[in-house]
Amino acid sequence: MNKKILIIILAVVLAGGLFVAYDTILAPKGVEGEKEVIIEVVVDKEDINETFTLNTDQEFLLGLLEEKQEKLGASFTEYDFGTMVTGMKGYEAQESEQEYFHVTVNGEDAQTGPKEIPVKDGDTYKFELKTY
Amino acid sequence: MRAKDIALIGLLSATLTAGKLALAFVPNVEIVTLLFIIYSIVFGIKRTLLVSIIFTTTEIMIYGFNTWLLVYYIIWPALVIISGIIGKKVKTEYGFAFLAGIYGLSFGLFFAVSESFFYGIGYGITYWVKGLPFDILHGFSNFILVLILFKPLKNTLDRQVEKYI
Repeated sequence: MNKKILIIILAVVLAGGLFVAYDTILAPKGVEGEKEVIIEVVVDKEDINETFTLNTDQEFLLGLLEEKQEKLGASFTEYDFGTMVTGMKGYEAQESEQEYFHVTVNGEDAQTGPKEIPVKDGDTYKFELKTY
Repeated sequence: MRAKDIALIGLLSATLTAGKLALAFVPNVEIVTLLFIIYSIVFGIKRTLLVSIIFTTTEIMIYGFNTWLLVYYIIWPALVIISGIIGKKVKTEYGFAFLAGIYGLSFGLFFAVSESFFYGIGYGITYWVKGLPFDILHGFSNFILVLILFKPLKNTLDRQVEKYI
């Protein structure tokens, strides 16, 4: 077999192996089963400050928000880099006024989007309208 | 600099932007790395350095100014210099395929370091880890593209250089 083709096949196999390794070791993992979590929504300019205690089987925050979309008044926008929460309690963050929903998990700034944030029993997720 | 060089630099910059846009629909598969490596070897470091600056400036005009574009002003010229230097010693496509592969694999890391300065180390690490699947795709697609296309492209360009430059 041509040496170059063999090297290309090996490279593809190696890349596949690395993808599997990433998925097994580093990718965020959800927790299966029923969980009780708290979601806080704060929009100071609209005097919104509500806390919801929710039960869910969803493994990631985006799934939970979609499941309870009506109750939370949530809306989302798809970007190249992922899905962002752009509305809560019926209030849409105004991009023209540089508003966004700042997400914290148990008081710590979220480092990833809601699609990658695992839902864990007892966690508190806060969505606060801020400007950038 | 001769008028011929100015025209050539403009043309090469256009091919880079066009090449990037043509493959923009495939995430992290690109021919920019391949072209910078070949241009550095065929047309020399000096001309290709100017091409890399024009290419990045064009990116800013297309996408607007972002922190990640600052990194472009460092990594593309760095690739040009590295390719130009090793091009004097390495003669087969395997060495360049390896270089392109390493470059692709490290791409996220370069940006993670830069993002850390703006948003903190925690953000930088998350950015890097989250982007690793894209880096793997980038590195291996770079490796394969250079392995396949380096020789035919370089031979074609060498012939053109003999004729016109």
